[in-house]
Amino acid sequence: MPPQITTSPLSRPDGSATYTDALSTVLAAVNGPLEVSRRDELPSEATLEIHVRPAAGVGGPRERWLEAVLHAVLRSVVLVHLHPRALVQVSLQVVREPAGGGVGLGKGRGEVAVLPALVNAAVLALVGGGVGLEGMLSAVLVAVGGKGELVVAPGVEVLEGCESLHAVACAAGGGLVMDESTGRFDLGVWGEVVERAREACLAAFASKGEDEAMANGDVEAEPWMRQVLEEKVRDANAWREST
Amino acid sequence: MADTATSAPGLSFPRATFAKLTPAPFLQAHLKQPQPIRPSGRKPDELREPVINTGSLSHSNGSAVVRLGDTSVVCGVRGEILLASEVPHPPNEDVSEEDLVENLGLLVPNVELSTGCSPAYLPGNPPSNSAQSLSWRIGSLLHASSLLRPDDLTISYTEPKSADMGPDEEPNTTVKAYWTLYIDILCISLDGNCFDAAWMAVMAALKDTKLPKAWWDADRESILCSPHANDARGLTLNSLPSTTTFAVFSTASPLKQRSEAESWVLADPDAFEEEICLESVTVALQGDKIVRIEKHGGPRVGKEAMDACVALASKRWEQLQKLGGSV
Repeated sequence: MPPQITTSPLSRPDGSATYTDALSTVLAAVNGPLEVSRRDELPSEATLEIHVRPAAGVGGPRERWLEAVLHAVLRSVVLVHLHPRALVQVSLQVVREPAGGGVGLGKGRGEVAVLPALVNAAVLALVGGGVGLEGMLSAVLVAVGGKGELVVAPGVEVLEGCESLHAVACAAGGGLVMDESTGRFDLGVWGEVVERAREACLAAFASKGEDEAMANGDVEAEPWMRQVLEEKVRDANAWREST
Repeated sequence: MADTATSAPGLSFPRATFAKLTPAPFLQAHLKQPQPIRPSGRKPDELREPVINTGSLSHSNGSAVVRLGDTSVVCGVRGEILLASEVPHPPNEDVSEEDLVENLGLLVPNVELSTGCSPAYLPGNPPSNSAQSLSWRIGSLLHASSLLRPDDLTISYTEPKSADMGPDEEPNTTVKAYWTLYIDILCISLDGNCFDAAWMAVMAALKDTKLPKAWWDADRESILCSPHANDARGLTLNSLPSTTTFAVFSTASPLKQRSEAESWVLADPDAFEEEICLESVTVALQGDKIVRIEKHGGPRVGKEAMDACVALASKRWEQLQKLGGSV
């Protein structure tokens, strides 16, 4: 099942989106470019500020780590040089995450599992907010099961018994922008995982023609991200056609 | 140096000025040499040699000082007793032995960067975002590698055999308390790659940790610890994972053609390199298995570069196994 997306659920921020997949739901809001505080001002580029709030309670070291990862990932696609001495603020609220608060999913798996949803929600909100991006970006979770089988976008039951878990994000062009892997694996498995994840990520925003080449019976082969964004553009331009 | 004032002002800067004014072109100029070299004089794939000292702190159960170039880190491990009766939500039966350590939070790592270790972190400030995320990464890797055995950290009590017990009946054994290990990591000098140094310090300190013999005293209904050093025992650790961090320097910019961009992978980056490199890779190895890969910030490291990183990381692992034997 492709992820469920609502574009612009919030009216106040510049851009917002909710992203729901089998494991987690994330609400993202983007504001920018805004005025930046003197302390964070960068002379040649926009400051990117990421806030992650957990599903329950206030954020702690775990959220600071997620923010650090997201900052590095988003920084590589946002055209920060377009808005020097400005601020782009991305706020992410985790609404639902696997095993509520990561208690049942130990060993760093809970955090890796929620990362793809955070990245996808943030990218959709950035697009909605009209923040310039170098290219599209999407993320996917891949689990390696006990028998060495790869599961793209796994469910909770797969997570609990998996050998290793990989959160991978790919930018348009196939560049591997993020890979957070945890578990026990070797380089051969990792290579396969990255290949599968890259296909799934690129398929999310492939245009119709490319899609055929990408589709190999995969669940994620549908260009869900492109469909959502195209629909949003159509809605936004509806007034033009009606007049 | 007296004649510099009289000579005509040239168009070149001293090295330090060049590095300060335009750090990225400075690093690029070094790496562009026929034999690429880093400003620190190291080759791109050269790691700094770690120096490890253990048992320097007398008031902790285990400690280590690790020096990695100009980065030095002190780690102290302190054991505290957590009474099983004081656990608010005791783990239920179906929690596996392995998850017990994480579920009860028996390992508490904390990284302190506000010690005046670097101008970027003001002393006395609350833990910065990077200190918090370092603490988290260390904790998560400790749990992911299932380093400690839960029975090392439990204090159980076997009831004495009573008279009305059959000869075959086993006496009841109950877990009365747990050892909580507070792992405090202080960075006393920071020149890049705090994570690797901190991780090495944690490993060496845990190896050095000796917990006193503790038992449940049924008459006093409390835990007693033996004051004798001979009774103290070390922890049984699984094979120690090692981490290796890489920074990726790239000349890519949205203002330039993508094909013009060049990139270099720098092993064990120092503070100067960390500041200008946006992409980073951390590989954690336990034997021949990878337990963690953290890679974010850019698209430069693909499969081939990762192969090289893992090869270098396994070299570091072997090196640390040798070092570990001598400590």
